[in-house]
This record gives sequence, C-alpha cells and structure tokens, in this order.
Amino acid sequence: MTLEQATEKNNGALNTSTFFMLPNFVLSLIERILNQALKLDPQLSQKLSAVEQQRLVVEVRNWQQTIQLVFADKKLHLYTAQSSDNADCMISADIDTLIALKNPAMLTQLIRQDKLDLQGDLNIAQTYSNAFSGLDIDWPEQLSKYIGDAPAQQLYLYLKALGQQSNKTKAQISSIFTSLCQDELAITIHPLELEQFKQQNRELKGQVAAIEQRINTLLNTVTR
Amino acid sequence: MNETPEKTTHFGYKTVAEDDKASMVADVFHSVAAKYDVMNDLMSFGVHRLWKRQTIASSGVRKGHHVLDLAGGTGDLTAKFSQLVGETGQVVLGDINSSMLKVGREKLHNLGLVGNIDYVQMNAEMLPFPDNSFDVITIAFGLRNVTDKDKALRSMYRILKPGGRLLVLEFSKPEHEVLSKAYDFYSFNLLPTMGKLVANDSESYKYLAESIRMHPDQDTLKAMMDDAGFEQTTYQNLTGGIVALHRGFKY
Repeated sequence: MTLEQATEKNNGALNTSTFFMLPNFVLSLIERILNQALKLDPQLSQKLSAVEQQRLVVEVRNWQQTIQLVFADKKLHLYTAQSSDNADCMISADIDTLIALKNPAMLTQLIRQDKLDLQGDLNIAQTYSNAFSGLDIDWPEQLSKYIGDAPAQQLYLYLKALGQQSNKTKAQISSIFTSLCQDELAITIHPLELEQFKQQNRELKGQVAAIEQRINTLLNTVTR
Repeated sequence: MNETPEKTTHFGYKTVAEDDKASMVADVFHSVAAKYDVMNDLMSFGVHRLWKRQTIASSGVRKGHHVLDLAGGTGDLTAKFSQLVGETGQVVLGDINSSMLKVGREKLHNLGLVGNIDYVQMNAEMLPFPDNSFDVITIAFGLRNVTDKDKALRSMYRILKPGGRLLVLEFSKPEHEVLSKAYDFYSFNLLPTMGKLVANDSESYKYLAESIRMHPDQDTLKAMMDDAGFEQTTYQNLTGGIVALHRGFKY
C-alpha cells in the first residue's frame, strides 16, 4: 500500500487493524521467531549470507499485504512494504502458493502455471526457499541445555512418536468419519452419486434448452 | 529609547522567550534521559516500537545509504538503520541533548553496534553538514521540541541529497472526537502521575502532554514541509492519528 493510499484510507473510518497496527505487530512476532530459528540452526545464516543486504519483497495477494525481507547483520528484518520499488526481487502470489515454495523445485513450475509472479533476481527467491526448506534444528541438542542429554533425547523421541501417532490417528478418524457419513448415516452422498446427479442435470438442461428453442420457433410462427 | 520586543515561543502551554526554549527543553530531557526507554514503553504500552517500525518500513533505507537520525535520543531507529545500511553505509545519531546522546551511545555499544555510527550533538535548526549529504533523514518525536520548526525543516532539506527523503514521526491530532477525549484524559491525568511514580518527574511529562497539543496538526505540518521545499509530501496517521508519519522528498 502506498503512503498516499494509506493517507486516504486513514482519513476514513477508524480501522481496527491500522489503529492497533496489527500488520506491524504480526511482522514483529514473525521476525522474532525467524531470528530465533537463525540462532538454533547456524547453517541458516550461512545459506542466507549469499543474499546479505538484498531486498526481497513478497506480496501476499489474498491477504493484501506486502512484506519486505532483508538479511543484514546476521539477522532477518521484516517490514511492511510501501511498494516494490527498491526491491532486488519481488514475488507476488497467494499464501498457499507461497507455502508450496518450501519445495524449491516448485518455483519455476508455479511461475509457468501463472500462480506466481516474479520480478528481479530469481536467485534471491531460490536462496530463501532453499534456506528455509533445509531448516534443520537439532531439538535434542537445544533441549539438553535445560534438562540434560539423556532426558532430552528421550523426550524428543517420545514427542516424535507422539506426533506420528497423532497424524495416524487423525487420518484414521477422517477416514472413519467419511465412511460413516457416506455409508452408515447417509448424511453425505457418494462421489459417484454426485457425478450421476450432475450427468442427469446436464441432460435435463439440454432438454429444457430444446423445448425453449421449439417454443420460440412456435411463437415466431404465430406472430407472423 | 525604543527596546526591541523579545521574540517569544511556546513551551508547552507557557509562552517563553525564544532564546530560552532550547535550554528549557534540554532540562526536560536531562531529567528524563535515564528512564526514557522505560517510560516510552510504559506510556505507549509498547506501541512506540510499532510506530518506529513503520518509520523504518517507509524509509527505503538500504545498503550504503547515509542516514541522519535526528533527535535520535536513545537510538531505537539508529540501531535498525545501522544494520540495514551495512558496513558501506553510515548512520549519524544526532541530538541536541548530551544526556540523551550518552544514553543512546551506551545502549548501542552494548548491542555491539559500533562500526558505522557517529554521535553528534547538534541543533536541528543549524545542521552541521554540507549540502546534499544524506539519503534519509528521520526525526522521531523531536520536531515538536524545536524552537523554529520552519528553519529546522529548511536545514534538513539543505543537507538531504536529491532523491532523498525526510520522515517526521510525531504526535499529532486524533481523527475522532471520542478518541481525542480519551487521549486528553490519559495525557493530562494519568501521564504525569506515571511520570511521578516511575521517573519521579511529573513536570516533564506534563510538558510532554502540553507540547503535543501545541504541535501543528497533520495538514499544517504537511504545508510546512511543502514550504520548506519538500515534494510529494504525504502523511499516514498511526493509531487513529495520535501519531502521524509525514514523508517528503527532495528532487
């Protein structure tokens, strides 16, 4: 958003988001989390040093927010962006597309699919994508500073197993719920039934169009 | 014998001789310097950090830039600018008050920011730099304390490089009546009490509230910047106009 637009917007009704400066607040929290990640994974700083002082501007289309990222003095700096001016690289996409960028191989594919606009130095976007996709925090090592080596390793393994079990349970519940709704309680229809309904609907639409055509022809005949 | 009438200005709600204002403002800041950061957080509920973030976001500062953080006080903006301009850039932390500069220098040294920061005690009305020296000038919560604001703006314009920008972050006029009333109650009742309890100085915080009311509103300051020569001058109200961020360019 340009400063001029912001001025006009501000001159209107009091906006809760701008009053409490929520975008700035959220960005300051994200900045803090990312800088914590930088401390926990020393490799991340090394990877980002290739784009030191380079400005990456990211436009999140469906949130209508533009963010600038700069890696400088071994820290990530995140700010709202006034425009893409002065950007070394600018990316514009929906949030889902941006999340998909955690797989660096998707970058060119998403550009080809017109889901992502990129201007400037492609290498900057790739470096950020590579750096964060390869984020590897040694959690047992970090935990061991507080509770010791052995308990940290045990706790890590336990939490990992818990996470896997939780994912498995989530998939099972989802499957059970779907079959319950479709087969046992018949709350939702089966995809095949939906397809059949759509087919019948299309046929009916065709028949109605034919009748409409015949009626129009007859009306034309009568009016002559 | 005819006496030349003494030129006057305001110091909060008081009318004082122009020559006296600088020293009176200096006394206020000598008094609050030690507790300045704590009081800022307390008085604004931490929101001053977000106002400053917005200033940095609007500054367009990048590697190699020369930045002047005028009335920079305890160096919040300088700390960020120093990281963003890198080794090839330079940040000057300027303040008229030696106590504030001392606190700022100590704070930035403790943060490990030493390579590209200069500390200069200076008067905003007579900036001691050659023409066209800086890419960005910021003055955050300082302009209202300057005796001759027009002279200071002209001085800033002179030392700004063509293509450079000035950012003025300052208290301003709330946009809505209800907010304005609540803000008045807060400023004149709670603020001096907080000043008394935390910094043992209610007078300085009474001056703060009064000086904010005497400061030009958004459109007046914009016109003053235009008169000083700035182009494409705009402003953005922050927190309902309690604070406004003005931006102007030199071409």
